[in-house]
Amino acid sequence: MPRATTDARLLIQSLSRAYAATPTNLKIIDVYVFFALATALIQVAYMGLVGTFPFNSFLSGVLSCIGTAVLAVCLRIQVNKDNKEFKDLPQERAFADFVLCNMVLHLVIMNFLG
Amino acid sequence: MAASRHLAALLLVILAVAVSGEDEGPRGRRLLVLLDDLAVRSSHSAFFGSLQARGFDLDFRLADDPKLSLHRYGRYLYDGLVLFAPSTTRFGGSVDQNAVLEFIDAGHDMILAADSSASDLIRGIATEIQRQWLLITLTMLSLDVDGDHTLIAGDDLIQSDVILGSKKIEAPVLFRGIGHAANPSNSLVLKVLSASPSAYSANPKTKLASPPSLTGSAISLVSVMQVAVESLLTKFCLCSCRQEIMLEFLKSGVQKAGSKTKHERAGNEQFVTETSKWVFHERGHLKAVNVKHHKIGETNEPGMYRINDDLGLYSTSFKVPDVYGVFQFKVEYQRLGHTGLSFTKQIPVRPYRHSEYERFITSAYPYYAASFSTMGAFFVFSFVYLYHK
Repeated sequence: MPRATTDARLLIQSLSRAYAATPTNLKIIDVYVFFALATALIQVAYMGLVGTFPFNSFLSGVLSCIGTAVLAVCLRIQVNKDNKEFKDLPQERAFADFVLCNMVLHLVIMNFLG
Repeated sequence: MAASRHLAALLLVILAVAVSGEDEGPRGRRLLVLLDDLAVRSSHSAFFGSLQARGFDLDFRLADDPKLSLHRYGRYLYDGLVLFAPSTTRFGGSVDQNAVLEFIDAGHDMILAADSSASDLIRGIATEIQRQWLLITLTMLSLDVDGDHTLIAGDDLIQSDVILGSKKIEAPVLFRGIGHAANPSNSLVLKVLSASPSAYSANPKTKLASPPSLTGSAISLVSVMQVAVESLLTKFCLCSCRQEIMLEFLKSGVQKAGSKTKHERAGNEQFVTETSKWVFHERGHLKAVNVKHHKIGETNEPGMYRINDDLGLYSTSFKVPDVYGVFQFKVEYQRLGHTGLSFTKQIPVRPYRHSEYERFITSAYPYYAASFSTMGAFFVFSFVYLYHK
């Protein structure tokens, strides 16, 4: 038992040390994703309490959170310098894609919100 | 987003007024009265006089008059038939059983009197009109009136203001004749005058070998039937006694055995008058006028409704059901003695238009907040991401 907990603690420590080394912009994206998912969870919990009426509003709210989280993750993938696949993609291009997709997402959400 | 709208604020009223129509009343005024014996005409002048006073043109003929005919050049000469000729075996002229039945099928009314001396012809007419009537051949006996026990004081009248008039017939109706019974599964036949519980059907001159087949109030002494053939309504009255008997007692007093009240006059006159009024359509005719439907707050009749609209029925309101499709407003009105009323109006019902749904639902505010907060977060994030050091 003691070995397991010290192992776990060592694991967490090395993880947080490695994470501290990531570039700031990636950390900002991570925070953004975290808040989006938290909002989605709050909405799901609320729906569990109140019931599914009106279902379209619920879907719209949850999907906006999940959608932005997904788009932010895509941005993070494309912007990460350690990622070999997107080495030649300019950062501005990635960010522009991100902005346009978000525009479309929010347009759809507003329509579906009812 | 517009303000919320309440669908419950729309109400509709259907105004369907069933009018007891005197304007469509008696069909026509020409009655053919067929008799066995023209002396009946004078001996029953009270009854015929009352008919004529109500505006009918009576044409008295002997039943075997060779010039008798119901129609000429394809048009009927009469609008109703009074058949007081029970012992006729053959009609004269161009009239026979089929001609009489066709006359009735074409929408004309008839009163028929038939008793134990009724010929096969008359029985045939009665049974053809209503296939399950049995004309009993034996006279009725009862304990109602002292004497030879064949006279019945009938007070078991049908409870109907329409058939018998609004003034209640107080005195019993005197009756001597035979009884008939209608098949209980036929719902078009109404027993206007039934025999009392102590009456039964038997031959008065012989001893009874077995219990009588028909007793009590299952026996009908006077019945009426009302049939709607396409849009024509025909009424038919069968009185299973000799017509003289019925009308003879117009003026006599009666006291029912075992009861203390003595009536000055029997109820025959009133009974006969009121029933003949019903038979000849002077009373009891219903017509629907002024049928329209609309939403409360508007007066024009819309071409279609939406699901969950509120509609009105007579003066209450109801909500259109939660199903879209094509519906019909139906009115089916059947009351004892009245003509039935039945009409439909078709109306489509559509689902919600996309602009007619509820908006700003209170319970959905968290979702609205979440969506807007996501938008705001995206905006803030993009600034932070671009301009951080």
